[in-house]
Amino acid sequence: MKKALYNAPYFMKEAGRVLWQNRLSGIFSFLSTGLILFILAVIVTCWSVGNLLIKTVQDEAEISAYLDQNIGEEQVPGLVETIKGMEGVRDVKLVDREEAYGRMKEILGEEAGVLGLFDENPFEAFIEVRISLGELGKIAERVEGLKGISHVRDNREVLERVQSITIGLKRFGCLIIAAVGISTLVIVSHMIRQGIYNNRVQIGTLRLLGAPESFIGFPFVLAGLLLTLVGGLLASFVIVFLINRAYSAMAGSLPFIPLPARSQLVTGLVLFVSSVSILLGVLGSLFGLRSTE
Amino acid sequence: MIEAKGVSLRYPDGTLALKGIDLEIGTGELVYITGPSGSGKTSLLKLLMGVEYPTSGSLKVMGQPIAKGQEGNIRRLRKRIGPVFQEFRLIQGRTALENVMMGMRFLGLPYRQAKENAQNALARLGLGHKALSMVENLSWGEAQRIAIARAVARKPRLIMADEPTGNLDHDNALIILDLLTSFRDTNTTVIITTHATHLIGRQEHATFIRMDGGSISVERRGKAYEKSLV
Repeated sequence: MKKALYNAPYFMKEAGRVLWQNRLSGIFSFLSTGLILFILAVIVTCWSVGNLLIKTVQDEAEISAYLDQNIGEEQVPGLVETIKGMEGVRDVKLVDREEAYGRMKEILGEEAGVLGLFDENPFEAFIEVRISLGELGKIAERVEGLKGISHVRDNREVLERVQSITIGLKRFGCLIIAAVGISTLVIVSHMIRQGIYNNRVQIGTLRLLGAPESFIGFPFVLAGLLLTLVGGLLASFVIVFLINRAYSAMAGSLPFIPLPARSQLVTGLVLFVSSVSILLGVLGSLFGLRSTE
Repeated sequence: MIEAKGVSLRYPDGTLALKGIDLEIGTGELVYITGPSGSGKTSLLKLLMGVEYPTSGSLKVMGQPIAKGQEGNIRRLRKRIGPVFQEFRLIQGRTALENVMMGMRFLGLPYRQAKENAQNALARLGLGHKALSMVENLSWGEAQRIAIARAVARKPRLIMADEPTGNLDHDNALIILDLLTSFRDTNTTVIITTHATHLIGRQEHATFIRMDGGSISVERRGKAYEKSLV
């Protein structure tokens, strides 16, 4: 440990020298690594927001059960209780005609004047059932089969679409992660191979002097790590800047879209991108070293 | 220190560089390997450094067999050897001190001791004032002495110098030889290859290994034997 510590400045200096020797390809490698990690960060951000959206939609998954016109008012509480007792049902609420009218008025906003064209309230009372998304089909069927329910409306189509988008996003994310990993490994290992080639005389001398491979290889691993870490920090800086801008913009114009807490998202993202960049830097360098043995 | 029994070396292209070498070198000996270019001097040193392996026979350096499958042990063995390469192999872009210290960074010495060893070695070779000079700015003779400083600062048990007088004038060559031989002591063996036999004729307490085309002859304080090479 002491030996490694006193060699730390030497290793840093040698790593810097390896990068400096190939500064032009180093700059391009650093930029492309930064860009690749930025794409990864964007995907992870979308993924994170998408997941929250899905969770929110899932929490808000609901069906509306409309009452049979022949049902007596005294039977309604019994129906509500029956539905409440079903598995997968989170909450049940009876929405009477007045509340249904009020909700529509709120939705229509400035256009609510159109409701004045009706002589009387055109909305029917219904039972609003909040459920777990996975149980939607089963519960809708069971509720529809209850005596006193004329028909059921659900937002299954919308939910299924959102769900398929998220699944697609997840698959795309996996592809991007694989592409990011492979591209970064290729870039870093190429840089390291070039560095090894440029320093072949020094490496040969160190071997003849009895230096262990770990001592010879460490500066190259460090060089690869620095390359990707700086690329990762660049990517983090850009994505954090964009997230801040996006949050400010969406807070004003699209307040209904659920977003994760900004600090939590940013911290998680920076940690994730930094960890991935460190991992890829080390792996890429090791591949580079291995391929030149 | 060194024990060779029937050692032969044939390069992959079929060239037979050494055949049936029998050799024993003890601790603290001063050994000159002489002979014209192409006589096998460097090949013998390559074997002793573990850069090449004998194609037949057995070779041990400080008890360590030089053979395939022993790479890790040979790497450790090299830590106890101070090599001076014919082409110096100094690392460009570094100072003299950095070059000398580079040979010690992986030996497990405390930093201060390594630095002190390096400074002492440079001072002993008359280059204390050049410690912070970049090696590419030094003269041929100075570079040669830094290469020697890198070898001896490690306090090796075996110093091996390949043609250290190769490109030097008579006076500088003598200085280099004197410096190298001055590191020989009861624990340190010094092996020097050279084709400049006129420079070493005055040595009285040395072992001479003469490699000359078809034969190798060993003369140790007056005793000599000959063995057919090819």
